[in-house]
Amino acid sequence: MENKVAIVGVNLDSALDIEKSRERLIFDLVRGLMDDLGIEPTDVDTTIFATNDFLVGRTISNVFEDSPAGVYMRDESKVEMDATNAVMYGTMRILSGNYQTALIVSQGLCGHQVSPYLHISYSLNPIYDRQLGLLNELSAAAFQARDFLTKYGFGDDLMHAIAANSLANAALNPRQARQLPDISPQQVSESPYYYEPLRELHCYPPTDGGCAILLASAERAKELTDKPVWILGLGSSMDTYYIVERDLTVAPSATKAAKRAYEMAGISDPAREICFAEIAALFAHQEPILAEALGLMEASDAAEKYQSGETAIDGKLPINPSGGALGGHPIPATGGFRVAEATLQLRGEAGKNQVKDPKRAVVLGQDGICAQQNSVLVLGI
Amino acid sequence: MEELRETYITPVVPLDFTYNYRVGQYMERFLNSLKDKKLMGVKCPECGKVFVPPRMFCGSCNQKLDEWVEVAQTGMLANFTVGHVVLEKGARLAKAESPYVLGLIKLDDVDSLLLARVEKVAPADLKKGMRMKAVWKEELAGDYSDLDHFEPA
Amino acid sequence: MRNVGIIGVGYTPVFVSKRRDVNIAEMISEAVDAAFRNTGLGPEDIDAMVFGNMQTFEGLNLPHLWASEHIRALGKPIMRIATGGTTGMSALHAGYYHVASGLHDVVMVITYEKQSEGDSQVGLAGIITPEIMTMLSLGIDLTGGTGMGGLGGGSAGGVSFQANSYLNRSGATIEHIDKMAALERRNAALNPYAHLKDPDATPEKIAQTPLIAYPIRFGHVCPTTDGATVAILACEKKAAKLADKVAWINGLANCASDATTGNLIEGLITDPGEQRPCMIAAKKAYEMAGIEDPQKEIDMAEIYNGFAHQCLMFMDRLFLCGEREAHVLLDKGELEITGRIPVNPSGGVVSTNAIGTSALNRVTECALQIMDKIEGGHKVQKDVHNAVAHGWGGLMQYVTVTVLGDKPRKR
Repeated sequence: MENKVAIVGVNLDSALDIEKSRERLIFDLVRGLMDDLGIEPTDVDTTIFATNDFLVGRTISNVFEDSPAGVYMRDESKVEMDATNAVMYGTMRILSGNYQTALIVSQGLCGHQVSPYLHISYSLNPIYDRQLGLLNELSAAAFQARDFLTKYGFGDDLMHAIAANSLANAALNPRQARQLPDISPQQVSESPYYYEPLRELHCYPPTDGGCAILLASAERAKELTDKPVWILGLGSSMDTYYIVERDLTVAPSATKAAKRAYEMAGISDPAREICFAEIAALFAHQEPILAEALGLMEASDAAEKYQSGETAIDGKLPINPSGGALGGHPIPATGGFRVAEATLQLRGEAGKNQVKDPKRAVVLGQDGICAQQNSVLVLGI
Repeated sequence: MEELRETYITPVVPLDFTYNYRVGQYMERFLNSLKDKKLMGVKCPECGKVFVPPRMFCGSCNQKLDEWVEVAQTGMLANFTVGHVVLEKGARLAKAESPYVLGLIKLDDVDSLLLARVEKVAPADLKKGMRMKAVWKEELAGDYSDLDHFEPA
Repeated sequence: MRNVGIIGVGYTPVFVSKRRDVNIAEMISEAVDAAFRNTGLGPEDIDAMVFGNMQTFEGLNLPHLWASEHIRALGKPIMRIATGGTTGMSALHAGYYHVASGLHDVVMVITYEKQSEGDSQVGLAGIITPEIMTMLSLGIDLTGGTGMGGLGGGSAGGVSFQANSYLNRSGATIEHIDKMAALERRNAALNPYAHLKDPDATPEKIAQTPLIAYPIRFGHVCPTTDGATVAILACEKKAAKLADKVAWINGLANCASDATTGNLIEGLITDPGEQRPCMIAAKKAYEMAGIEDPQKEIDMAEIYNGFAHQCLMFMDRLFLCGEREAHVLLDKGELEITGRIPVNPSGGVVSTNAIGTSALNRVTECALQIMDKIEGGHKVQKDVHNAVAHGWGGLMQYVTVTVLGDKPRKR
């Protein structure tokens, strides 16, 4: 899928407790993006929202997002899942030829207003898991972490190293909510346990935030920006819901999603051809599992990769140079944040988090318990 | 003109609706058999896997599951975690009164794992592969909580 | 652009008030199975899936995740769409773009609602919960349901304003609404997948039902239904291989106006009966489908009507008649199954409302009429070459339109 749909602009904002209403946040994001590009909402052909009614606390949550996003007597739809999927839907609409531009708007205020754990709690099987009350995303992540560590004979120190890598990057990034300057693996290891071996700093923080992304056809992109970032490939896939039947140390749906995306992008050796990855790993141990599924490393090499600095911003294969989801997880905008951060990197505008001369990036967004559903985008310049 | 100031009126909306989930005939049979201290599962005619609790479909084989099997109440500890937190109402994170153990039990002859509380074993003594047995409540009601916990066999 | 057609449809065996015998995932699986049975396809033929419902109705977040096995979605791309009452058609449109983009060839669109498991009025009121709570916290009295609270979602309070506005503009009367409701209940009696059926429904019988808020009577209101609907979409090449008959999606559009009904916008107080988004979307969809004169070229319509007056109200908004004409056509019998422009031969939403499916059922009914695969006695009496399906929702301000044809669109 060569140079057909481009990301022409991004805007994002997050905080642990943002002092804005949802509507104000959306207005600021969209208005800011329009001003950056020198266009008006009326120049946008379609808007795709990625929001979740549960987290907004409102049925049909897109209804009250229309006006702040500039949708009045205009075209819109809503994808109720991670924002990477809204980016995919916008891409499909442009590829069809029916639309020239698509605005993606996503927000989630899970920092202060609602518990972020509500999201998964209410998606559990209501006739068993929810009745039993033992399963939640944290206990499930703990099982996944233990399986992963046991499989390769790693110690907890790998989890601390992975988390420290992300958190240190997040501390450099003004767009990230969780700011822990001078974070060390030692400090991660001293954070309290949630479910062993999972500690607080291995997990994403409750976050408020949102993002706006404008996609455009090749023709329109030329008019809107000198620095288009192209969507080269996309894919998504789903595993079974039942974590008690899954090998949690692998993510076959992420592998399938990546295979589709790489094929489309003409990438045969991702570990060599991809310059950096933005992966929505909600817990430290998920990063190597998902990176393996993306063909970027063998999970068995994780200890070496993380301890040698290979995954750092100046390393051979930077993973989550933005700080990733451990820096902020404004459900369901998280995948949109990964797309936006990757875009800034490819345009050379990532500031202190800038990776050297990247050409191609892979982005992953996830939904469900233990990353049941995964969506992958390949971006490039 | 006076400048508009944003204020932060924050009404608290504890959404608390009542839902009535039909469990369906598979879960109904499973719950009913708990009353007789039985664990019932279903077997896939294609891959031969046995699932507990039972459900209607094996997605990977595209098969409707209708062969019922009673399964063993013993197995081994396949995975475990010590919980230091609980999710309270509204999924708010809170510290647990005291640490507790959750286990994934691989029942003999069952292919799915069963999530349960594990008791009568100190966290430091937990080991993958330990033999476990089911412990039932004294009064059985055909309810999710009938199977109380697992403990070392 | 690639042409996209509907090659198969699957419904749950019944649409009723309470499916006590199955859980949510099991109920959805019945419609998936029916779609496979009706097309002779299997999971291996499906490239991607789109899934839709309104999750606050069942209190279940992202239900496609739990239903992964039951809907045979393992290893497949699946996209969840939710836009309120229009969800079913928004999901269909997403399915359309999966294929039209060239990324996928065969896509399954799955929608459901199992409204017996939750409280639909609570679900609908949830649209404006934050507003209500803010007003309460500021000491505004909302008791009696006559204030803003009455405007929530699809509640009869809000819709009564719309119905009055419509009657005022069109010259129709409450008796016309009775007549429309009776027509649809009779159509529903011929449809095995309809919920409220009354083969002997008459305007007089409907008129005897209690008044809720003038001019809305109990007999004008949709039920809450349990059911699921599945549609399979394919590109032209695959459709030729896989299906004997195809209903082509030749035009599609959607449009949203402002949610805050009653506000001053562009110098006018927004009127819930105006429904300008419907005109904008319809114009766009007809243009795409190459329909120049809908009154001549459209053979039948399926209009989303949670309340019976909406069928008449939207007819002129879909350019199927003049602004003061819908009730006149009704009086002439032209909207009947045997008429010149049959409307809602399925019995409409007013007879069957499993919300997630409702806007998709408008499309599948048109598709099955075009494909001549109608079960039961509600096949319209003329050949259907072109049909229009309409979805309505949001906070009374969001409309989707789909134009279907028996021949693919000329590129």
